[in-house]
Amino acid sequence: MTISQRRMSRRKFMIMGINAAGAGTGLLIAAPIVGSILSPLFYQRKQPWVLVADIQHVPVGVPTAYVVMLDQGGDAWQVPPVPRTVYVVKLNLDNQVQVITLSNVCTHMQCDVHWDINLNVFFCPCHGGEYSMDGTNIAGPPPKPLFRYEHKFVGTTLYVRNILTEGK
Amino acid sequence: MPLLASVTPQLTPVPVSTGVATALVGLLMLTHIQFAAWQQGGYIILAVSDFVGWKRKSERYDRFSKGLVTALGATFAVGGSLAIFAIMILFLGLWSHFYVDLQRVMFWPFVAEAVAFVGEIICLYPLYARWDRLGKVRGLRIGLEILLFINAELQMLLINIVASYMLTPRPANDLPAILMNPTEIPLEIHRFVGNIAWAGAIIALTAGIRLLLKSGRRPDVRPYLDWMGHYGLIWAIGFTIAQPLVGWEYAKEIQLHAYASWYDMMLGGLSVAFLIQVFLLGTIFTVGIFYLWRRVRASGFRSPALAVCTVLSFGAWMLISTPSSLAWSYEDVFRANANVPIWQGGLLIPWGAMIPWKLTALVAFTGVTIVALTIYLKYVSRGKLRWGDAGRGQAVSLITVGVAISLIMALMGFIRENSRGPFLITNHMLINQQQNFSPPSSSGPALQGPASNIGFSVILPVEPHP
Amino acid sequence: MAQELERSALARKLTKPFSGLMATTYRWVDERLGVTDLVHQLLYEAVPRRGAWAYSLGSATLIIIVLQIVSGMFLLWTYVPSTTEAWESLNFIEHHDEFAAIVRGMHLWGAYVLFVVIGMHMLRTFVSGSYKKPRELNWITGVVLFLLVLGLGITGSMLPWDQAAYWTATVVTHIVSYFPLFGTQIEEILRGGPQMGPDTLTRFFAIHIWLLPALLVPMIGLHLILLRRHGEHGSWVNYEGVEEETEAERSRRMAEAEAPYPAIPSDPGYAVPVDLDEFFPSQVFKDALVSFALVLLIFVMAVVVGAPLERAANPAALNYVPTPEWFFLPLDQLLVQFPQAWMIPVGVFVVPGIGTTLLMMVPFLDRTPGREPWRRPEVMVPGLFAVLFLLFEAMLAVGRLFNL
Repeated sequence: MTISQRRMSRRKFMIMGINAAGAGTGLLIAAPIVGSILSPLFYQRKQPWVLVADIQHVPVGVPTAYVVMLDQGGDAWQVPPVPRTVYVVKLNLDNQVQVITLSNVCTHMQCDVHWDINLNVFFCPCHGGEYSMDGTNIAGPPPKPLFRYEHKFVGTTLYVRNILTEGK
Repeated sequence: MPLLASVTPQLTPVPVSTGVATALVGLLMLTHIQFAAWQQGGYIILAVSDFVGWKRKSERYDRFSKGLVTALGATFAVGGSLAIFAIMILFLGLWSHFYVDLQRVMFWPFVAEAVAFVGEIICLYPLYARWDRLGKVRGLRIGLEILLFINAELQMLLINIVASYMLTPRPANDLPAILMNPTEIPLEIHRFVGNIAWAGAIIALTAGIRLLLKSGRRPDVRPYLDWMGHYGLIWAIGFTIAQPLVGWEYAKEIQLHAYASWYDMMLGGLSVAFLIQVFLLGTIFTVGIFYLWRRVRASGFRSPALAVCTVLSFGAWMLISTPSSLAWSYEDVFRANANVPIWQGGLLIPWGAMIPWKLTALVAFTGVTIVALTIYLKYVSRGKLRWGDAGRGQAVSLITVGVAISLIMALMGFIRENSRGPFLITNHMLINQQQNFSPPSSSGPALQGPASNIGFSVILPVEPHP
Repeated sequence: MAQELERSALARKLTKPFSGLMATTYRWVDERLGVTDLVHQLLYEAVPRRGAWAYSLGSATLIIIVLQIVSGMFLLWTYVPSTTEAWESLNFIEHHDEFAAIVRGMHLWGAYVLFVVIGMHMLRTFVSGSYKKPRELNWITGVVLFLLVLGLGITGSMLPWDQAAYWTATVVTHIVSYFPLFGTQIEEILRGGPQMGPDTLTRFFAIHIWLLPALLVPMIGLHLILLRRHGEHGSWVNYEGVEEETEAERSRRMAEAEAPYPAIPSDPGYAVPVDLDEFFPSQVFKDALVSFALVLLIFVMAVVVGAPLERAANPAALNYVPTPEWFFLPLDQLLVQFPQAWMIPVGVFVVPGIGTTLLMMVPFLDRTPGREPWRRPEVMVPGLFAVLFLLFEAMLAVGRLFNL
């Protein structure tokens, strides 16, 4: 082989080596970083039951707001419970009393929804979304009905936990 | 002012039936808005045309500006007399309760409006009478035109304060609440763009009619008319682009703050009229874009892009004109127990629903018109369009857009006033309260009427307490 | 030869106050570092003579960005990016440390003024057609800078963790979830979980203080390098009579042009402004005055108005009306106007996406050689609509929020 042909193969080898080393270095640095950024997708937390109120104090047909401390999930070093509002609504459907525990998180952009006495709807101030008493989205941008917290009764005491189901 | 308050109760209303009175006032207002909108929009077109003519040293723009200012001077004389004399006489005579009430609540806005009128005269007449001499100080002339435009916008702002007060009244002594009335800002923007579009439409309409006349075939006149029609049309559909945006928010505020009116307009008895309204809106966009396509073709260029825009606009037009039900109103649908789609035996047509179908059509209009206008303007700025090439079809398109905008304005006024019915001032005053009311007691400013149980506090110049 | 003379004259000027040992030291350093050469290159270039006050907006933007970086670096001395301590640390500043409160105020008003100045700078370059050949990349890097500053503005507003910040963060991260396919996953990555939490604050803090600045600074460098390479374009008043000049006149003008002109490739006649001036001291004087005035305005606003701090974040408060920052009002109004189901992604991604793309594509949409605005209706008319769109949306949003 001539000198120039030999030099070509050494050069090519060295360039390949540069590429490989560079890729390897980048990968070693990036992999743990990317893994850490993506870690919230894979972390689950258990949700405890939280006491709301005695259901006998809630009048029929009047959405009543209660503030409870809920575990917000996520994977941080400290996860203090966050105060959130639960709307407890006692509906009278076909002479049967049904209790629903609505999350007041708007299904549009997650602002706080509140029951407006004048408009007789759940109203979201951010973009004008409106929901009826049972959480159905009736006007404005919200695409879905209000979510509902999982609830259970111990006697007449109502408990909720931060697991949401789709509203009907 | 206290002096006037003691005088007005002596005025006895003209004994005319409510129906006739309402019809007369309605006819007058519909005529008034055609004049007023033209006046306002015309001023800004005047200022821009004068400026562009100056910078481009263009004889066409200068000829146009002079014609425009002459027209505006004449229409102001007619329209102004119409507004002041006839409205005052009609309102004072036929709708006196309303008129007196409004003067009490809106005293200072009306004073400002009157001052603005004087300002308009001060700016307009020198332009009208001394146009050529002012041409020697071109910058001053343009400055006067801009001043005129600002004046006109002030007049519109003040009358919008009154108009929004009628639809969604706020406590009379809360000036910030009256100025930031929820239906006032959308109305302001809505009328701002609508006035300019209407002025452009009149220019296009005039050009279109003259193009069809025999006098329009003269070779020295036809290129100018062709250009004038194109120029007016760009203003007309250019500013109509903003209407879907603003109209949506306006309707939203009415829904939130005057639900009964909103229901009437969108789902109730007036919904058929509103359907005609959006049909006219589709006409404006589609025929306008059609004009752009064919005008380019008339000068020898094929534009598949503009053809596609026309087709898309036509599709949006058909979509937005689809009724949401086969009944006259939503109550009729419920009464017939038929609130299911037609193929299930009901009366509803799902593609006529506002969300998302009609909204999609509105978005499509906005987007397609911007694209079409941009493509068209590229031909114009390269000097590719020969003025004088316009054919019969283009003239008819111009006339159609002009007539459509005139109709849409008149119909909007009709819908607006009737949706607020039976109230003249929502929840405060009925239309048929004008002919039988008791004069205010001398002890205080509270107004009593048969059904008026809300005492107004007034915005009056208050004498200092001793 | 003339260059050599000028350079040594400059070196003499710079070392004039120094004598003896200092002058020798300066010359020793200069031989190795080439400082005089660098200063010469930076200060001695040609700029257009007419309309120069308008061209000071670009350097004003740079100065205010530097102000933001400096004031931000100082705020790091006190601020803690923790959900429990962020508000407390800032509340302490507001009540107990007037000077730090002023710095915080300058940081906030610096951001507000920066948006206005960027808007004016964009408007000026748009109207004067400065994006035309060969400066298209300058415009594109400018749009990228604008987006980065927008990102910095919105992430910065989330840091105080008061009510306004909390709900801004909630809404902004939730918007992301409407992105098709993996939107929810991106939301969880940004939030550090499905719901707002301590991770959210730390992640946005990182984005705000190093990720976005790390992208911003090189982009600014590129923007300035491009400006230096092609020279300041100026506006149409600097090219009067260019279309009517003869070939001889034009070639003479090109040959006589001082650095960095002529800008090549260019439309014929537009490579060199008709009348030139010195960058230093003419343009620098105007730049310095305008920058000073703006920083003074920021300082006054910081002292008189200051940076507001609402109550600490409370997700359960029912009577709070979340209001976006003023520079996001048009986008918020889009959220109102594109309701339900698939229209939401159209409103938040497609419409702003198309708008941003068109903004970047402006140099390629405008092919006319002329520089006057009234000869370029195909960009002026859509541009006017874009400005009116933003203005109308903001006005409608203000009216809506006032009446809630």
